[in-house]
Parts: sequence; C-alpha cells; structure tokens
Amino acid sequence: MRATWDIFCSVVDNYGDIGVTWRLARQLVAEHGLAVRLWVDDPAAFVHLCPQADSRLLRQEQQGVEVCAWAADWHAVEPADVVIEAFACELPAVYIAAMAGREQKVLWLNLEYLSAEDWVEGCHGLPSMQSNGLSKFFFFPGFTSGSGGLLRERGLLTQRRAFQADEGAREDFLRRLGVEPVAGALLISLFAYENAALGRWLQVLAAGPQRVQLLVPEGRILSSLQDWLGGPALQVGDTRQRGQLHIQVLPFIPQDQYDRLLWSCDFNAVRGEDSFIRAQWAGRPLLWHIYEQADHAHLEKLDAFLAFYKEGLSADAQVALVALWHAWNSNGPIGECWTQLLKSWPEQTTHAEDWCLERASQADLAEALVQFYLNWL
Amino acid sequence: MKTAQEMKPNSVALIDGQPWLIQKAEFTKSGRNSAIVKMKLKNLLSGSSTETVYKADDKLEPVILDRVDVTYSYYSEPNYVFMDNEFNQYELNKDDLESVMPYIVDGMTDVCEAVFFEGKVVSVDLPTTIVRQITYTEGSARGDTSGKVMKPAKLSNGTEVKVADFCNIDDWIEIDTRTGEYKSRAKAPV
Repeated sequence: MRATWDIFCSVVDNYGDIGVTWRLARQLVAEHGLAVRLWVDDPAAFVHLCPQADSRLLRQEQQGVEVCAWAADWHAVEPADVVIEAFACELPAVYIAAMAGREQKVLWLNLEYLSAEDWVEGCHGLPSMQSNGLSKFFFFPGFTSGSGGLLRERGLLTQRRAFQADEGAREDFLRRLGVEPVAGALLISLFAYENAALGRWLQVLAAGPQRVQLLVPEGRILSSLQDWLGGPALQVGDTRQRGQLHIQVLPFIPQDQYDRLLWSCDFNAVRGEDSFIRAQWAGRPLLWHIYEQADHAHLEKLDAFLAFYKEGLSADAQVALVALWHAWNSNGPIGECWTQLLKSWPEQTTHAEDWCLERASQADLAEALVQFYLNWL
Repeated sequence: MKTAQEMKPNSVALIDGQPWLIQKAEFTKSGRNSAIVKMKLKNLLSGSSTETVYKADDKLEPVILDRVDVTYSYYSEPNYVFMDNEFNQYELNKDDLESVMPYIVDGMTDVCEAVFFEGKVVSVDLPTTIVRQITYTEGSARGDTSGKVMKPAKLSNGTEVKVADFCNIDDWIEIDTRTGEYKSRAKAPV
C-alpha cells in the first residue's frame, strides 16, 4: 500500500509558498509513487500556477495530486502517514488531535524556508517534542549535504541541456510565448518584487553597446517597469523599445514553461525561493531579489548565499557579483555594477553551470524527505 | 505557559509529562524563516539527553524549581562541587553545567543558585553579571577607545570572549552570562 502524504500550504503572499509545495507534491507522486494530498487555503493562487484547476472545487486531482481546499471550517479527515506543514503554517487543531490519536504513528514535518546560513545544518532534522506526545521534525532545504537539499526533478538537467543545445527548440518555445527573438540580443528574464533600482539598470541596458531583449512575466516588478517607461499602462504582450533595450511583457506562465524561459535566457533576475532555485538549475548567471524583511534580516541571508555561491570565482568576479546583488537588493548603483559584471561575463557563465552541477550532485529535497521518512520508520 | 524563547538554560519544562532540563538554548531568526530556539535537553527522570528545536512562540509548561544560594568550592573529577551557607555540598558534572561551564574558574566567588528538581540538584545558575580576568589578548590594533571595536580575549579557563579593543591582559571585565557578551571593564573583585 502506498504511503500517504498530506502537505499543508498557507498562501502568505505571492506564489512562492504554493509554488514550492505544488512542485514538491507533483514530484512525490511522479517519482516516488506516493499518494499526496495538497491542502491549500487559497485555491485561486493555486489556479494561477495550474490554470486547468478549478478554484471552486473542494477536491480535485491535478497531475496525480489530490488538491484540497483548506477551508476555515475544517472537516475531519484521516491524517496521512506523513504530514508536512509548509513554512511553519499552523495545522488545524482537530487534525493535530487526530494525528496524536492515530493508531499508526504519523511523521510530522515542518518544511522551512531555504537558507544558506550556517545554523541551518545544526537544526535540520531535529525533533520538536510536543505536549501531546507527537514529535514534529524541522526540515530545512539547503545547499549542503547536511541540509535537506533543493527541489530538483529527476532528469531535469538532462532536459535542460537538451533544450539549450537545440536552438530550434528555444526559438519555438519563445515564439509560442509570442516572443520574436531579437537577433544578436542578450536575452534576460526579469521576475522580481517592486524595485526602485530597476530604472537605473534599464538605463544602462538601453544605452549599452549590445542589444538586450528583456522578457518580463506579469508580476509585481511591472509597476517599477511602468514607472521607468511612462506612457500607457503595460499589458501582457506589450513591447517597448528604449535604445538598445527591447522589452516585452509576458503572461504569468506555469512552472514548466517558466523553466524553459529561464533555460532560454542568458541571464535571469529572479525572486523569493522557487524561481531562485529554478534559475540555479538553468545553469545561467542570475540575480536574486530576496524577500525583504524588517530590520534588514534578509540581507544576512543574502550574504550567506553569496559567500557560498561566489567560491571559485576570481577575486574581481566575486566583487562584481556581490556588488550587483547588493545594489539590486539595497537600491544601489546597479547600472555601474552591471557594467562591471559584464567584464567577467564568460567566467560568470561558466561558474553558473559549475554551481548547478555541484548542487545537483546532492540528494534533492523530495528524495531527502522520502529517505527521512524511511529512516524514521 | 511560557514561550520557548522565554525558557532559559537551567529551567525545566514539562513536555508530554516528562521533566526536561534546558541545558542550552540558542535563538535564531533569519529572513522569512520562523524564529526558532534550538535546545539541548536532559530528561530528569531517565537522564537521557536530546537536541530539539522549537518555534520561538511555541508554548512550553515551565516547572517551578527550588533554588538555593551556593558558591563554587572545588573540582573533584568528574564533579564540580558547590556548597551552600550551611556547608551542604552539591556535586554536578560537566554535562549538568553545560551553560555555565565557560565561566567556572578556580577561586570564583560568585553567589550562584543551585537548582533542584524533586529534591535533587540538577544544575547551577550563575548571576547575570560576573567579573572575570583576561589572561590573554592581543594589543590594541587601532587605539580605539569607543568600545565598539572588539577583539578576542581568553579567560583563565580558556574561554574566549569578545572584548573591547582597549582591554589588556590582566584586566578584569564584566560578562553577561545570558549572552556570553562583554559588558565593560571592571574592578578586581575584593
């Protein structure tokens, strides 16, 4: 009999939480043959990622995953063998009581946000003893073998390499998105939160020596783009040109298509957690817009990743990379930083692929979760 | 009930009917991750130890403990012996004293608190502020007098503390035992 897994996702804002849990649920089903229920408290957010879903349904099957509406008035269900509360969301009290009362023990996991900070390894996999006799285990995704790893589907890199090696596949994909590739242009994708530094970057791209094609999936960064461009409100499909810079607004696309967009581009600006990881699997240089926190707590997390990521780059390339990421996340002089980064472009490109391969040598998050369950049994 | 963040080392929480002594507690908050407290716990009934982690706002049930003033007397392998003012002696090993071990030095005169659970001593608490002598530190690198520039220094038992750049060997300093942080220079204890 297949092990049953329940994944609970409370959508805080944006699509990061549901993006990660939906991806994880699909992988557990497809690669590990598990019976997975994904409980989502905001079905409309889920439909954004899975357009064929119906937000009005309390239960539906999508790609082998039973997707359930996590309603405020919780109806009792039999808990699964493994229960994941994603990003420390609060499970329904009735459900926790049912877990405690279940004849067969339940593995309860709190899947945390991704961080490269040192303390993660020391806390990964530790139990949290509860007053009801249950233990909840903290599971931390991460970049080292002492952490829970990163979400990466089996065969992802093989698919990616085949796609990147096939110029026709790339052009076909872009055309299906309505994008006409600009000959000789550096192709950049831009997915970010609102960012006051954007205008300064675009100014440099527009005035630069090389043509740049900037693809912007619908999202929060559009307001910053609109501020810089001026004129009528941007709509999906709109194109604009400023000097060497060709801009196109894309629709919000499902995860598999977004992967291909990242694989198609020479440089990817990403945000949050899910797109940040996917950009690393694209093996191309990237720029991370980290989720901003009070008291600049996010900058420590940013620097922890940079300290790790920049290893192996020459000193000049390290300085350029760190300066660019800091400028993007702290409203700094990103135009100058971009110009500096371009000086080490071949090295940054090789490094992105090396980084990807090194991370891919570790167990992926889904595999690590399944292994954790088997060890726990 | 107290939050996990409020539970300090050398306090005891009742978890699922079992008394657990908190030997060590480290608070961490970063980015979007929930603030967490990593703890080293010792079961006071079975003697087993475990590491655990709680969200900082998780609720734990504290156990009210008896406390008696004691001072450190001597080390008798493998135990550290403390004495109260009626000359009763209490022996604790290194594991029992994990959170205060960095500050245990021969000849210390701090009035500590022995912590009892069901009549048995389980740990010792130090005062919030203690005074210790620096036995080694490098000279001042920049001549800083503000106290904001810090450098490493060693105490007589080998514990390393970050101190103000202007501190020297043989100086006495105040240390906050809750955080392990240097507070200021101090006069030698009488």
